[in-house]
Amino acid sequence: MRRIAAALLAMLALGSCARGDNKTHIYLQRFFGECSAEFAGSTDVSKAEGECGIITTMVDKFNAENPDVKVDVNVVAWPGYPQLSAQVAARDPPDVVTMHEGVISDYASKGLVEPVDGYLRAAGISPTDFTEAARQGVTMYGHIYGLPWDTHGGLFHVNTALFAKAGLMRRGKPVLPNSADELLQQARQFKARTGKPYLIQSNVGDTAYAARNLWTYMMAQGAVLFPDPRHTRLHTPTGLKVASFFKRINDEQLGTLNMDTPAAIAAFVNGEGGIYPTGTWMIGSFEKEATTPGRPLSNSYAVYPYPRLWGEHVEFVSGHAWVVPARKRSPKERQAIARFFKFMAAHNYDWARTGHIPAMKAVLQDPRFKALPHRSDIAPLADIGRPLPGYVLRQNAIEGIVGEEAVAGFTGQKPLGYALAQAERRVNTLLSQAE
Amino acid sequence: MAADFRRGRLTPLGWAGLIVGAAIMLAPLIWTLLLSLKSNAELVGHSEAALRPPYTLDNYVAIFGNSLTTRWLLNSAIVALGQTAGVLILASLAGYGFSRLDFPFRKPLFILVLLGLAIPSQAVILVQHQLFAWLHLHNSYPGLILPGLIAPFGVFFMTTYMRGIPRELDEAAMLDGASRWCIFWKVILPLTIPAQSTLAVFTFLGAWNDYWWPLISATRSDMYTLTVGLAAAQMNYAQTSGLGYLMAQAVFASIPIFIVYIVFQKQIVRAMAGTAV
Repeated sequence: MRRIAAALLAMLALGSCARGDNKTHIYLQRFFGECSAEFAGSTDVSKAEGECGIITTMVDKFNAENPDVKVDVNVVAWPGYPQLSAQVAARDPPDVVTMHEGVISDYASKGLVEPVDGYLRAAGISPTDFTEAARQGVTMYGHIYGLPWDTHGGLFHVNTALFAKAGLMRRGKPVLPNSADELLQQARQFKARTGKPYLIQSNVGDTAYAARNLWTYMMAQGAVLFPDPRHTRLHTPTGLKVASFFKRINDEQLGTLNMDTPAAIAAFVNGEGGIYPTGTWMIGSFEKEATTPGRPLSNSYAVYPYPRLWGEHVEFVSGHAWVVPARKRSPKERQAIARFFKFMAAHNYDWARTGHIPAMKAVLQDPRFKALPHRSDIAPLADIGRPLPGYVLRQNAIEGIVGEEAVAGFTGQKPLGYALAQAERRVNTLLSQAE
Repeated sequence: MAADFRRGRLTPLGWAGLIVGAAIMLAPLIWTLLLSLKSNAELVGHSEAALRPPYTLDNYVAIFGNSLTTRWLLNSAIVALGQTAGVLILASLAGYGFSRLDFPFRKPLFILVLLGLAIPSQAVILVQHQLFAWLHLHNSYPGLILPGLIAPFGVFFMTTYMRGIPRELDEAAMLDGASRWCIFWKVILPLTIPAQSTLAVFTFLGAWNDYWWPLISATRSDMYTLTVGLAAAQMNYAQTSGLGYLMAQAVFASIPIFIVYIVFQKQIVRAMAGTAV
């Protein structure tokens, strides 16, 4: 019994061992998963694959190249905000943390994250180095609140074999519509010739899909979605026009209904529809299918940003950023964070291999980036991408509400006007309570 | 009671019903196991591929390949065993006190304990988190174990059980000169073994499966329990390309629970049937 007690005490003591090196430690917290079994110890970023593999290898490379600094990594369950909030409440936040750009305002408005202008200056990075979409995503209250890391948004993932069958290929490229009417015409033609739906839609449990569609095409028509920090405007003639368009797609059965994300992905991979509008993060998986002989997508995959259907060619986007939670830090720790920022900005190309759009303008012009599959086709997203304004709080929750009500309208579960009015009312109530 | 379920008493229709019921209950478990034995790439387009070979252990190899998995396993074991031991000790002592001793405010205190059953843990999470932050107990074993020791159900359970033990046993021991502690330790406690084992099983299962408190208290990966660690290890959007790995995680995390169920089957069935009290 005594031996067991002693062993337990020893384990408890080991669990609270302090570090004893002379390095400056910075504590990095991220999502993207844990894959140390496959990638830990490797510093060859070019050989790493996937978000997890690339970020794991990059941090190891930074540690190897900076012997006086040690980045201690903490991997959190996606998206990690409950843990971050708990750490902030316990006054023990990490030094650097991954954050979706739409979430930064929630923390910045309360002073829980630091402006990073100083770190960027120390790292020799200028905000003009960022793409327009990335710069907008991290700018709020007149400051830069994070090192933007990528831009991600919706893309039209296209099955070119089915497009060819539908007569919608010109010079080896899919013909995408230039207006809402043209999209409906093409969709009818596609369905008539292939017997399959033009759009594969993840309408179930994927609120981002409907919100992205509504916001993108309202922005394209010049709608001001958030005239001030406390109000949204969705129940407008422009909102109704966009919502009616998506409802018509469903009424004419030109798109799939009742699919969640995994079902929609499986449907696209199995060649059950023409276009799957989903995010940049799926490029790697679909490209793998396209380069595997014998698969339905084999040699039949192309991908583009959302097409311009009305007005201006813009698209709602978000992005990942490296953010610095507010806490007391030594000059050495601040210097180490600046060095980490410099390293990450210099290696933004490596991250762009994940499928996300790079946040640094220079990478868009990098021949290595242009040589990656489909990247020159999707690169315009860096220019046309528009995040929600930085002064809007609770962006994650708002996306959920808008997506929920929009999909109810698009699929006929609620009258369109009622759904948009409900979305507007619920978001305004939420914003009225946001601090 | 077990005699009622002897083979000879069941009609063919009863057997058929039992078999169908068992199949319905087992189907999701078998489906999970089969998915865990398939490569992730194969499952992206066709989850029904789980029904045909080839099968692979790659997903399990990946779990054990993660350098922190064994640490998370150890953390879960320490937390679950620590909570179980703590709850048994505290609930037994409190149960003895409420059932046998006469002290001021005994009834109001017992009602207060019962009220604890009605308060969901989420209602006190903010205060609890602040308290543990103030005590610098986050990211520590005490921080993970202590909240689980607040066990009003355990106190209620042991009190009720001990009330069922005849007081004549205490009186006989007292006539022989036994002290209160001696009566508790040598007379009452041995008689509560069935209740102790039932309470131990429920406490262990609850502690092992707990996700919410470890998620916000253990914010450093070397202090994660298995539930939090496995969730953090997931790496792809909507788990679309790692279905096999996800299912392997589910199977892996449930193996200790499965063993506990097998070993303590009798106690669990007794507890469910209400015969432990």
